[in-house]
Amino acid sequence: MSAELSIRNLTAGYGAQVVLRDLSLEITEGTLAALIGPNGHGKTTLLRAISGLVPITAGQITLAGTRIDPLRPDAIVASGIVHVPQGDLLFPDMTVLENLRMGSYLPAAARLEKQRLEEVFSLLPKLRERQQQTASTLSGGERRMVGIGRGLMTSGRILMLDEPSLGLAPIIIDQIYDVIDTLRGSGRTVILVEENAMRAADIADEVHLLDHGSIAWRGKGSEMSGRPELLETYLGS
Amino acid sequence: MDTILQILASGLTLGAMYAISTAGLALVFGAMNMLNMSHGAILALGGYLSYFAVGGMGLPAPVGVVFAVLVCAAVGVLIYQIVARPMLRSANFETRIFIATIGVGVILESIILETFGPQPKPQPVSMPGSLTLAGVHLPYQNLMILGIAMLLMAALGFALQKTRIGRAIRATAQNRDAAQLMGVRIGYVYALVLAISGGLAAVSGITISSLSSLLPNMGADPMLKAFIICVVAGLGSLPGSVMAALFIGVLEAIVQYVFGVRFSFALLLILVIIVLIGRPQGVFGRVQGVRL
Repeated sequence: MSAELSIRNLTAGYGAQVVLRDLSLEITEGTLAALIGPNGHGKTTLLRAISGLVPITAGQITLAGTRIDPLRPDAIVASGIVHVPQGDLLFPDMTVLENLRMGSYLPAAARLEKQRLEEVFSLLPKLRERQQQTASTLSGGERRMVGIGRGLMTSGRILMLDEPSLGLAPIIIDQIYDVIDTLRGSGRTVILVEENAMRAADIADEVHLLDHGSIAWRGKGSEMSGRPELLETYLGS
Repeated sequence: MDTILQILASGLTLGAMYAISTAGLALVFGAMNMLNMSHGAILALGGYLSYFAVGGMGLPAPVGVVFAVLVCAAVGVLIYQIVARPMLRSANFETRIFIATIGVGVILESIILETFGPQPKPQPVSMPGSLTLAGVHLPYQNLMILGIAMLLMAALGFALQKTRIGRAIRATAQNRDAAQLMGVRIGYVYALVLAISGGLAAVSGITISSLSSLLPNMGADPMLKAFIICVVAGLGSLPGSVMAALFIGVLEAIVQYVFGVRFSFALLLILVIIVLIGRPQGVFGRVQGVRL
């Protein structure tokens, strides 16, 4: 088992405000890794830095041995990293179908568009019913599903999900987690960012705890449940 | 009855010309939140380039038009590379680019003034003759302007809805970050949008000057009208802008006939005030975000 995504001594932030400090992280190929930690400690910034949306001031990011941090965001996507952002970030005036088709915008994904669309529709049947509906008129749960579906339309080998359960009703969260669970066997590597630590630890192969801009602890989800002091120290729960 | 049709015909021609220049302005604003204040100067440049190619070099009219469109599109790309790109990531991009493009406009206008002089020049690209249909006098030139405008707007609408790059432009307009996360190269989209806008400005400049004449500051009035139309329609809404352009063209023709030419601009401004009071986001606009 090799490290597919490797981050070394990463420092990044917004202008003078440094959010990530000397952060190192390795994600193993084909696993489901959870990234947990309190709000405002850099989880979203880390994903945005990997995607190239936040400038990096030091350190490097490599994907399967190739450095990707100097690349433009569109080239990072083309290299195989797909970011399903927090708050969905759909294209509000496009239909569900148009949103999904934006996922297969790049040529490598466009060739497989029909096949992937069928896969997404069978995984998220609600989207098939709603395909002609404008994205801005969808419910929160439906929007989240479009965001995940759009990510699955890409040819990304690594799928980064930023707080897929945020603001959703418990029954919808269960559905979303069922979908995430099925991704495990799909050959894709999944990085799941969650504030709900227990929920994420429950499903993940490996848990990384992000605190004050760097990784404070890593281990198996099962180890996490046996160490309540971790939750108390870092998450205050 | 004849008079009403006549007013309608000239109003639609006016509206069609407004639509061409407004579409470029709305496209750029919609895609990149950039109010291009040099749009009027690019429009004048297009008119003069066709004058130079057809009148000066003796090239056939269609070649002259294509030449003007291509050069103005290139000017759009240059504005992206030299002016917009360095400040894209800055905090107050909208304000900075607004002021910077005022400067670009002044530079372009000065170049035109220096090269061609301040005297009015005739636009050689025009179609003489007219047609009288049911008592309505229709110059071929006006019919051609109407036809070209409809064709260009339909082509632009089709390209935005149905082509891959059109979807990329709409995606960038609706959510810049999300578009990047789908692999859209937004620098390319921005340059392209400014090129299309420049090309449309050239067509607009040629048609406007074919009905009056060429002057270095001829772009100021259409630019202001285009801005008014954008505000009335809702900034960045392309189909709304085209409809608003046609409506305002007809309205202007009616006011000019009933009250006189001097009242037409005042009335446009009153319309803007009414729209801004009643619907600050514009008739077709949304409270948040933009659409294409």
